[in-house]
Amino acid sequence: MKILIIEDEPVLRHSIAQYLTTEGNVCSLASTYAESLERLNLYEYDCILLDLTLPDGEGLQLLNYLKRMNRAEGVIIISARNSIDQKIEGLSLGADDYLIKPFHLSELNARILAVMRRKSAQGDRHIEFNEIRIDIDAKEVTINGLGVYMTKKEFDLLLYFIANKGKVISKSAAVEHIWGDDSDMANSFDFIYTHIKNIRKKLTDAGSRDYFQSVYGVGYKFTST
Amino acid sequence: MRLFTRYNRILIIISFFGMMIIGFLFYRMLVYYLDMQIDHDLVEEIMEVKEYSDKSTFYEPHEFEDLIVQYKKISKANPSSSYADTVFYNPVKHRTETARYLKTELELVGQPYQILVIASKFERQEQIRNICLIILIPVMILFAVVLMVNRILLKKIWKPFEQLLQNITAFNINHERPYEPVDMPVAEFKQLNQVLVELSGKVKSDYDEIKLFTENASHEMMTPLAVINSKLDNMLQSNVLGKEDGETLVELYKATSRLTKLNQSLLLLVKIDNNLLHDEQKVNIKALIEEKAVYFQELIGGRNLTVDLELADISISASLQLLEMLINNLFSNVIRHNYDGGKIEIRLDAEKIVFSNTGHNHALDPEKIFDRFYKDSASEGTGLGLSILKQICNRQHYLLAYSYNHDLHTFTITFNN
Repeated sequence: MKILIIEDEPVLRHSIAQYLTTEGNVCSLASTYAESLERLNLYEYDCILLDLTLPDGEGLQLLNYLKRMNRAEGVIIISARNSIDQKIEGLSLGADDYLIKPFHLSELNARILAVMRRKSAQGDRHIEFNEIRIDIDAKEVTINGLGVYMTKKEFDLLLYFIANKGKVISKSAAVEHIWGDDSDMANSFDFIYTHIKNIRKKLTDAGSRDYFQSVYGVGYKFTST
Repeated sequence: MRLFTRYNRILIIISFFGMMIIGFLFYRMLVYYLDMQIDHDLVEEIMEVKEYSDKSTFYEPHEFEDLIVQYKKISKANPSSSYADTVFYNPVKHRTETARYLKTELELVGQPYQILVIASKFERQEQIRNICLIILIPVMILFAVVLMVNRILLKKIWKPFEQLLQNITAFNINHERPYEPVDMPVAEFKQLNQVLVELSGKVKSDYDEIKLFTENASHEMMTPLAVINSKLDNMLQSNVLGKEDGETLVELYKATSRLTKLNQSLLLLVKIDNNLLHDEQKVNIKALIEEKAVYFQELIGGRNLTVDLELADISISASLQLLEMLINNLFSNVIRHNYDGGKIEIRLDAEKIVFSNTGHNHALDPEKIFDRFYKDSASEGTGLGLSILKQICNRQHYLLAYSYNHDLHTFTITFNN
């Protein structure tokens, strides 16, 4: 997957690139409006991460440009501004998602994959990971054809981990993914532990291998190795 | 005491005493002058006596019914005369009247006589009474009229001032209601109005500046926070971390997340304050609370909290976003500040939402709990949750109250306050 990262903060730009540049992803970096335009004129991408406040122009103008050129790239706006109006404006100009800074890279990755799925999938949208098959629309998990019942939060969490397979996801990121704005609730870290435990049990009971690994007490990794 | 009343009271007291004094002096003057006149008449009578008395008859004042002259033989005439007030029996009118007399000693036809001329003061006193009444009645009427005019005039003059007071009371920095200037005909009020316009403008602009500053500062912090978060996320992927590094990372994640949350809360406060959330619609609160109870079920269940819901099917017209935040906040609050195995009670009726919970703390200070950053040291929250709650209630014109009874911390939100 080819990803263009447009972000004027260099450390963040490189951090995102570092996280995403695995599993065959290629990341291009741009820090200004002009640079981005130049890149977009020369190359095609699968996904564009767009910071709205660039030193030489508004990110929304780039959206206009992409729309005018009928470009097929998926666009995720990454902005420090949590404003409904801007969100609506961005989405109506053709952005596919809107992520507010600060975010976890695992969250960004999951959003990118979700956008890509929405863009490419025709009809049957599902994810497979070895014996696990997830039907995203029906919210169903099957192991070797055997259905596993999961609560909404468990399903979301499993999807999140599979999207970031091979990566360590911090409990903090998992909590924020599930609880969003209410992630600072007391003991919410313990609930991630409980959720993961439940998911593991449900999957292994249905005959799946246990793909979850606990990492240093900070988080978990979903991996087949 | 109202200015009116105070002013009138002083005016009436001063006028009353003033009139008493003036009236008294006036009366005394009048009496004095009339006495002088009578005395003058008495002297004239004496002259008549001197002139008209001869050997056979003494002068008698026939034409005056209020006057009598008495002669008394004495051994030796002392040429002196004295005036004084007295009471005498008026033989013509057959009654006792106050009078003035002149006593003098003269020699009449070679004989020394003491002559007493007594003049009744009755007529004069009538005159005095009439004069006093003639003056007093118009003065009283005038006084009453002045008081009334005063009252009406003052009311009229102070009317804009009262409007001004109302406008100051209505001025609210949170609700974006500017101070409405009042058209003032009186120079002093005009000045006051002017000062208020300037003051309110200054307060408003300062407040806006602070809000803008908070907003900008919070926004500016988001990017560095994003940097920290991304660096932590990448660090976590390293394969060479030890157990201690893991613990450090956990703490760093927690601190970053708390800082983020704090920033978001500050931004949210500004946003509510700026009235940026105006998606007014019919919201079914019962459904909303039930939905949130499910949303928080793991957190509730994990702490073995008992939830007791008693919800009437109520819909109100309000901003859905604000209401969601409100309910979220209330839930967060009753879960966070509870103890394991505690109790949550939620009541909803047409007038109010009530969230109650058991907790470690005893009664909290209802004056302080809604202040920003007020929290007990054990709390891991931002200290902004209840301020946000308060702010939302202000914005929606709900009444938010805290009470503590039967070991339950209770937050009551009354609609349409």
